[in-house]
Amino acid sequence: MPTITIDGQQVVVDAATTVIQAAEKLGIYIPRYCYHPGLSIAGSCRLCMVEIEKMPKLQIACHTRVTDGMNVITSSDKVKQARRAMLEFLLIDHPLDCPVCDQSGECDLQNFYMEIGRYDSRFLENKIKRKKAFSIGPHVMLDQERCILCSRCVRFCDEVSKTNELGIFSRGDRSFVDLYPGKELANIYSGNVIDICPVGALTEKEFRFQCRVWYLQSQDSICNGCARGCNIQIHYNTARPYKSEGRRILRLKPRFNPYVNRWWICDEGRYGYEFINKNRIEFPYLRRGGKLDLTDWDTVIEEVPRALKTALEHYGPEGIGVIASPQLSNEDLYLIRKVFGELMGVSDIGFKNPWEKPGYQDDFLVRADKNPNTRGAEEIGLTTNVQTILESAATGRIKVLYIFQHNFDAPEALELLDSIPGIIYQGSNWNQTAERAHVVLPAATYAEKDGSFTNFEGRIQRFCRAVPPLEESKTDFEILSLVAEKLEFPLVYNHPLDLFMEWQGKSYAEMDGFGEMISEQLREANG
Amino acid sequence: MPIVKLVSEYFGNEQAKSLDWYRQNGGYEAARRAIFEMAPKQVTDEVIKSNLRGLGGAGFPTGKKWSFVPADDSKPKYLTVNADEAEPGTFKDRYILEWDPHRLIEGIIICSWAVGIHKAYIYVRGEYVRPYRILKAAVEEAYKEGILGEHVLGADFKLDVHIHRGAGAYICGEETGLLESLEGKKGWPRLKPPFPAIIGLFNCPTVINNVETLSHLRNIILKGGEWFADIGVDRNGGTRLFALSGRVKRPGVYELPMGTPMRELIYEHGDGIAGDRQLKAIIPGGASAPVLTADQVDIPMTFDDLAKVGSMLGSAGIVVMDESVCMVKAMHTIADFFAHESCGQCTPCRQGTGWVYRIVSRILDGHGSVDDMKTLESAKKNMSGTSICALSDGAAMAYGGFLSKFPEEFEYHIKHKKCDLQEKRMAVA
Amino acid sequence: MSTTTFEFTPENLREFGDILSRYPQPRAALLQVLHLAQEQNGYISEDVEAYVARLMNLPIVDIREVVTFYSLYFRRPMGRHHIRVCMSISCMLGDCDVIRDHLRTRLGVAPGGVTADGSFSWEAIPDCLGACELAPMMQLDGEYFGNLTPQKVDEILKKARLED
Repeated sequence: MPTITIDGQQVVVDAATTVIQAAEKLGIYIPRYCYHPGLSIAGSCRLCMVEIEKMPKLQIACHTRVTDGMNVITSSDKVKQARRAMLEFLLIDHPLDCPVCDQSGECDLQNFYMEIGRYDSRFLENKIKRKKAFSIGPHVMLDQERCILCSRCVRFCDEVSKTNELGIFSRGDRSFVDLYPGKELANIYSGNVIDICPVGALTEKEFRFQCRVWYLQSQDSICNGCARGCNIQIHYNTARPYKSEGRRILRLKPRFNPYVNRWWICDEGRYGYEFINKNRIEFPYLRRGGKLDLTDWDTVIEEVPRALKTALEHYGPEGIGVIASPQLSNEDLYLIRKVFGELMGVSDIGFKNPWEKPGYQDDFLVRADKNPNTRGAEEIGLTTNVQTILESAATGRIKVLYIFQHNFDAPEALELLDSIPGIIYQGSNWNQTAERAHVVLPAATYAEKDGSFTNFEGRIQRFCRAVPPLEESKTDFEILSLVAEKLEFPLVYNHPLDLFMEWQGKSYAEMDGFGEMISEQLREANG
Repeated sequence: MPIVKLVSEYFGNEQAKSLDWYRQNGGYEAARRAIFEMAPKQVTDEVIKSNLRGLGGAGFPTGKKWSFVPADDSKPKYLTVNADEAEPGTFKDRYILEWDPHRLIEGIIICSWAVGIHKAYIYVRGEYVRPYRILKAAVEEAYKEGILGEHVLGADFKLDVHIHRGAGAYICGEETGLLESLEGKKGWPRLKPPFPAIIGLFNCPTVINNVETLSHLRNIILKGGEWFADIGVDRNGGTRLFALSGRVKRPGVYELPMGTPMRELIYEHGDGIAGDRQLKAIIPGGASAPVLTADQVDIPMTFDDLAKVGSMLGSAGIVVMDESVCMVKAMHTIADFFAHESCGQCTPCRQGTGWVYRIVSRILDGHGSVDDMKTLESAKKNMSGTSICALSDGAAMAYGGFLSKFPEEFEYHIKHKKCDLQEKRMAVA
Repeated sequence: MSTTTFEFTPENLREFGDILSRYPQPRAALLQVLHLAQEQNGYISEDVEAYVARLMNLPIVDIREVVTFYSLYFRRPMGRHHIRVCMSISCMLGDCDVIRDHLRTRLGVAPGGVTADGSFSWEAIPDCLGACELAPMMQLDGEYFGNLTPQKVDEILKKARLED
């Protein structure tokens, strides 16, 4: 294991490590465009040049392997000069698009220029003209003039999505990135090229002109699109609510997790956030005279516990059925088991939609199960068959059916729902199930609460609240706490964290940043 | 020094490309001797002794290059013959291909025997159509007569030779650009290390040698490495082909011992400047070689002597310019070439060659700016030592030659918005 | 508009097989295959690209990358005869400007263009063609013609037309 010195600091690394990776271990960031840890090494931007003792020429850090005793300098005047020179070369033909470019504020040309540039341009020629602002796929726009030919996007399509849509054509400074004519960048990972493009050459249609990035805030979360649980950042704007028609969630970005999704996310997950902004259940509703009437929390927080209490008293726990959801967090599910299962003694608690057909799955990230917490629900043990519960409710044995978050839209399901007299629906979005309920409780989405999901492998991953619950919706945790309080159950949970601690025996802070595999003891304890 | 006809012995002889004639005149005797009487290492040692250096441009000692190939047999080894002659001012390899293809094939056999190679590809530039046809006929003849194939010259030594046509890209003359092109891709040079001797063609150890370099092997094996070395000077062995062109009365290919003064080549063999004008400048070794001024014409033509004065012998494409040649126009022509041929892979070369060309065009057009000289100097400096391959360095050196030797011409163009030389139209004799 | 899709003649398919046999990796055959296709089709059309991509099981974008990188592949129909005038350093010293201007006048199209009757297309290129001792020179189809004068150029054009 060689020891190398970078800027006076020593570090021991594996033999196959490159200088740029070794520097990162020391917290030293070497500027780069073409290098990306998830792609092959191109070594073409030349920005990462560093000084290495005993080597007369500057060497690119991304390609140079460490040797024992190597002495590297990353910020001498010579290095800074070279970096500035490469930056100048790239900027000579780069269009002055900053005022209209989405990348502004997160652009590596801007960033490095502010860091090591700050020179006056001495370019007097006409800039090279290429195609600007045209669509290359359902989600991606290409501006060839802004492109610095780092080849990251081409390598991504060759190596990661393995769909080979993009190429670099022609030669010299006439080179350009493009699709083959008539083709489209339509693979299910197309959005990732936007992340890796260091400049505004590849930009997102959905985000185009929506919001300046300096108005965005970021929160770490977990994608709820399937059972993979790709790590994400939710980028939201609450500071300037007049922008982008008041949409709070502007985009999702993948977050690096070496075990789950590495640097990537599929387009389904990346663009699956509109439900947070649109078609939400924003207020509580109560069915009166055959239709759902807008009401308030005070009313429903009386009504729901009353209905549950009555059912319990007259019919016992068999009179209540609960259909939880694999969209809910571990903490929500744990609380449901506690409140309904333990404290009320209900045994009919299920979670799986029997009519939900498995979706598309590939051998990379996308899972057929489009729910983020199926495994969590299994581990927590909410395993009663849902069809049975619905049938028991339809035949009248179950008097009060509490449904969380589901969208039962199969005709068979709807038929059953139509014949159930007492449905309490707690969910975030309007759908055919919510419309058939007698009480509708507006719940928060995953972006509006704290909690954790357990992915298909059994990895528990934490997610954090990005924005407050919309309008009058409340988190499932809050709603259940209010119901439990009204039922005079002794609960001492102030926050989902408390539930997690009880369930896992540790706090979020003690968890591995990349998630943790569900423990054996817990599995046994849950039976 | 008189012209020595070793590798150019058969230039002008229509019969030499026939296998029968070649054999009747000592052809393939050296190959036979190497295979049947010498161990592979002996052959390499002979070549090292000869001080033969790469004659495509880099001037790397040939024997030493062969010795970098690892001895183990785990992967097949390849020879790629660099017949992608595209360096401006260079046309000598074309002569070998057109007049003496069997000498090249014999050299290929000798090299392959020495290094343990059983498959060789001759990468011929796409524009060389006639040379390609002649070479192809020679290779086919060689196969028919058992010179190539399963049993080279009847020995237990297999060697296949294939011709691979290029498609018009100067960068495919760069070693790893050539390999990429041979593998069916764009000619984008590779990051080094690893070097081709270890990881080359199809990931296997590969030797890349120029046409002329290999063509000298016949004589080296027949007459000995020491003999070859003695013809030349210290560390620059033997003779080489010099391609003389530009404003001389007798442009052409001249074979001379290494160390011959440039004056002799230009005034004796080239018969002096056309129109008996004054010599002004000489490009001594292809487009990347910094231009020399007339007072440097006595320089001995070796790799080392030219390197000492900050230039290079390179491909020995010697381009002569007289007093009526505008150096701004000359640089413009060279800059056009580099901008056109940059593969575009890396920042300094792609952007630098394009930028320099645009600035010099503007100066030539009479729209130069007072800052241009500084900008050119800076762009050139930033193109040196920062790129993936030597094209950028070569271009920077070429620009530097013009800018440092003839700054007053650029300054005149910038200040007065025109050329100070009367470019007379010359009827070339 | 023609709907013919390109495919190799039986003879060329045999040649394709021979080309493939020269290399341990099929991709290496690409440049020779494109030369062969251009010989048959006159230029590399999108049909040719699609065919070669299928034939060699390569992503079509890779074919396009190679075709646009190298100077000798034509991407649109050229004249029956193609001329490349060398404008490199030695030919510049041989006043190749005169030859270029003469050709522009004679052919009536700018460099890169095709004459109206389809007989000639031409380019004036900064690449050295490797015949500097014949400066100024040009290549017509496969052959080199040097020591050019406007008169000689006219003779060469006339001869080429007669051969048609």
